[in-house]
Amino acid sequence: MSQSKPFSVLRWLIALAALGGMLFLLMERAPDSQPASDTPAVAQAPDDGPADTATEVFGSPLPALSSLEELDLDTPPARRGLDLQHWQTRQGTPVYFMHAGELPMLDIQLLYAAGASRDGELPGLAMFTNAMLNEGTGSLDAGDIAAGFERLGAQFGNSSHRDMGLISLRTLTAADKLDPALTLFAQILSKPSFPAASLERIREQLLAGLRYARQRPGAQASEALWSTLYPGHPYGIPPDGSEDSLKAISRDDLQRFQQTYYSAGNAVIALVGDIDRARAEQLAQHLADAMPQGPAAEPTPPAEKIAASSQHIDFASSQTHVLVAQQGMSRTDPDYAALYLGNQILGGSGFGSRLVEEVREKRGLSYSVGSNFSAMQAPGPFVISLQTRSDQAEQALEVVNQTLDRFISEGPTDAEVNRAKQQLLGEFPLSTASNSAIVAQLAAIGFYNLPLNHMQLFLDRVQALTATDIREAFARHLPASERVVITVGPPQPPAEPEDNADQPSAAAEQEPSA
Amino acid sequence: MLRLRTLLLLLPLLAPTAMADSRQPTHSYTLDNGLNVIIREDHRAPVVVSQVWYKVGGVDEPPGQTGLSHALEHMMFKGSEHLEPGQASRLLSSLGASENAMTNRDYTAYYQMLSRDQLPVALEMEAERMHLLTLPEDEFLKEIEVIKEERRMRVDDNPNGVAYERFLAQAYTASPYAQPVIGWMHDLDRMQIEDLRAWYKSHYVPGNATLVIVGDVYPETVKPLVERYFGAVPAGPLPVVRKPLELPVIGERSLTQHLDLQLPSLLLGFNVPSLNTVSEPWEAHALRLLDAVLDGGYSARLPSHLERGDAIATSVGTGYDAFTRGDSLFVFSGIPNEARDIDLPTLEAAIWKEIDAIKQTPPSAEELARVQAQVVAGLVYAQDNIMQQANRIGELVTVGLPWQLVDNDIEALQAVTPEQVSEVARRYLVRERLTRSYNLPNAREEQQP
Repeated sequence: MSQSKPFSVLRWLIALAALGGMLFLLMERAPDSQPASDTPAVAQAPDDGPADTATEVFGSPLPALSSLEELDLDTPPARRGLDLQHWQTRQGTPVYFMHAGELPMLDIQLLYAAGASRDGELPGLAMFTNAMLNEGTGSLDAGDIAAGFERLGAQFGNSSHRDMGLISLRTLTAADKLDPALTLFAQILSKPSFPAASLERIREQLLAGLRYARQRPGAQASEALWSTLYPGHPYGIPPDGSEDSLKAISRDDLQRFQQTYYSAGNAVIALVGDIDRARAEQLAQHLADAMPQGPAAEPTPPAEKIAASSQHIDFASSQTHVLVAQQGMSRTDPDYAALYLGNQILGGSGFGSRLVEEVREKRGLSYSVGSNFSAMQAPGPFVISLQTRSDQAEQALEVVNQTLDRFISEGPTDAEVNRAKQQLLGEFPLSTASNSAIVAQLAAIGFYNLPLNHMQLFLDRVQALTATDIREAFARHLPASERVVITVGPPQPPAEPEDNADQPSAAAEQEPSA
Repeated sequence: MLRLRTLLLLLPLLAPTAMADSRQPTHSYTLDNGLNVIIREDHRAPVVVSQVWYKVGGVDEPPGQTGLSHALEHMMFKGSEHLEPGQASRLLSSLGASENAMTNRDYTAYYQMLSRDQLPVALEMEAERMHLLTLPEDEFLKEIEVIKEERRMRVDDNPNGVAYERFLAQAYTASPYAQPVIGWMHDLDRMQIEDLRAWYKSHYVPGNATLVIVGDVYPETVKPLVERYFGAVPAGPLPVVRKPLELPVIGERSLTQHLDLQLPSLLLGFNVPSLNTVSEPWEAHALRLLDAVLDGGYSARLPSHLERGDAIATSVGTGYDAFTRGDSLFVFSGIPNEARDIDLPTLEAAIWKEIDAIKQTPPSAEELARVQAQVVAGLVYAQDNIMQQANRIGELVTVGLPWQLVDNDIEALQAVTPEQVSEVARRYLVRERLTRSYNLPNAREEQQP
């Protein structure tokens, strides 16, 4: 049911304020796992897999299931043949393409280094600009643009993140649909008009969005996390902006941002669908020609290291949100494979991972718990998060710190490493099951300058890893002296002497709670 | 999910000629024990989705026992005859499979997505827990605490969740759709493992379930597998599946909720039939078109007139689910634009103006053409995602509608005239069917309707 009423991401964000409650009509056993931007990208199938036996992968004793006994674990799962292609437009814009002729449709994804990390002195500028792109072009207003796509059955999308701004189009490939949809799309890339009426309306919606975030403890925790981990760094800028900056942003600011960062030199074009190579080349060139011509933005530099700290934010809720975090890794870190695989074992793969077992399965402390590395252009955060009834928050934090400390000092077991390797091999075919998944991965390959056979290299590296490699990589990247703890919930009771045994670990004690 | 689902349900407006190309081979049959099986082929990638849907959900729960179906869903992962608690999840995860489960008012469903070669593992585990679930009490005592945390996270600490839960409790009177799927906290507090054992025994039988498989499979190889694993599950007595019915006319209801909100919001719900309960099916299809004309895209009426245009709303939209087991709701929701000093009564008046307009003047050909184009394209896009296809098929069958609707209820939608769209607005968007909720931030001045 991934299809939604097609409308802008911004509108969706705001709509959640009214409609979010409806979501609980349908409940899942486990929350969604990691964001898609962190999934490894696609590549060709390797020739062989590891020679794992069932016991190595599943542990023992093996349950008496005939299907497991009959499963051939020494042959890696079948894979979809992916003919990935790469070239550059005349301007040098990298293009990534895969022909998929099964369905008469095309997905286009454009990524620009135009995220909140480029906001400078005006937090929210990147998001504001992105939200204004489809609000007017030439003589067309927002309604004309929307109607133009909708009468073709085309779906326009836009969103803004810390590293990147994204624009997408999904359209049918019949000529009477594809050609007019592309014409309109190119117009938006070329000259968004930033009409005054839209500008004020979007500004009001963004300000409403800021207020909405204040009623969500999770949003409060996340904002505190980024500002604590990245003081004075572009990643510390709140992407949703501040009240002052949103009120200060002018049409000139938006136009300048669009001209500077939504340029052909700062873009990656990814295409997946039912068009041939010649058409793809022509189409990509057409889009790049429509964009402002300009250079790539400078890469975001790494942040200065920060010291461990602990802070509590008062919030009238029944649960306390707990985040344990520190600066992690970039997308191109040499330890990427080791940290990725290790995180699967620690808390990145749901049931069976250590954090879920310790916090949820053994103790029933939280519905949602997990760990994640946001691998970004500069080192992004490593975060463990959970929510629990407030009187259990201290206990949950203790369990998290112990689990993390132990993982860093002892590393995973060999059995865990073998299991995680098998898991990644098995997951790979799932990540190529849809055009939408492939186009997103192609765009990420381009954005982070990864080789076209990135996934193959990644899987090869993963298969070569040992438990020692993982332990050493975690120790290098996650020293306890840089661990930050953020809690959001009811005011914390003063510590009682008999609570000493339950104090959080050393990392959380370095500063008293705010 | 109301909102997400609505447009998808409009998919089949496509011309029949185009349909023939896009429809994938689909095979439907029933095992001797009563299990309904639907297999749909999609050979683009060597991946398959397997789902089991049970006709049991929040709507079936007696008062005082809300949350039973959802709690049982959690306990389905806590061991069966040959599998320790959590072991099936760990095994599937080791294979790289993704799995989860979902509980709704009308159904409980379990799914795995995995490499086609691993399908037998998913089938065997799913078949085993259909009849050999362990339901250990010590695991239940831990899991019920997880479920309470889930409730706190989704509802109690989410003022929108609270607002919507209470709104539904007013909007439905005779229908058990008034009950929250996750259960009231006081019902979770008194739930016992014996309750779940009884619930499992009475509802988890093959004749009350549908197996949906979508992906890179062929019937000649999958049917023997299904027979091997699910054929062994004994048939049991079938539970009675009742359609939740609402009173024809209830009278106007209104509530004001003061919550830890930052933004005030408005909910207007009208009691309407679903495709399952309507006496004249065209009415349900006309309600679907009404929903799309009002809010089927950024160029639809509500965003055009109320978000842009007069800038009365920060956000406004509609939702209608025609594909429910029982009587449904047509919901308007919105946030007034406080930057322009719009309050809830002003927003409500603006929505009524839109309702009155469509009652009097049928939608234009251009509006309906736009809806139709999105539906036609949406049918193609939906085929990009095998999970989405499986969800759609499983949900249709489980609420009591034919799975074929996923491909072809086009004619029914095309048969709806513009005048009929106005007609359903006149019949159903009336005050006697209305529940209004004004959701206000705490400690702010009350706004009377």
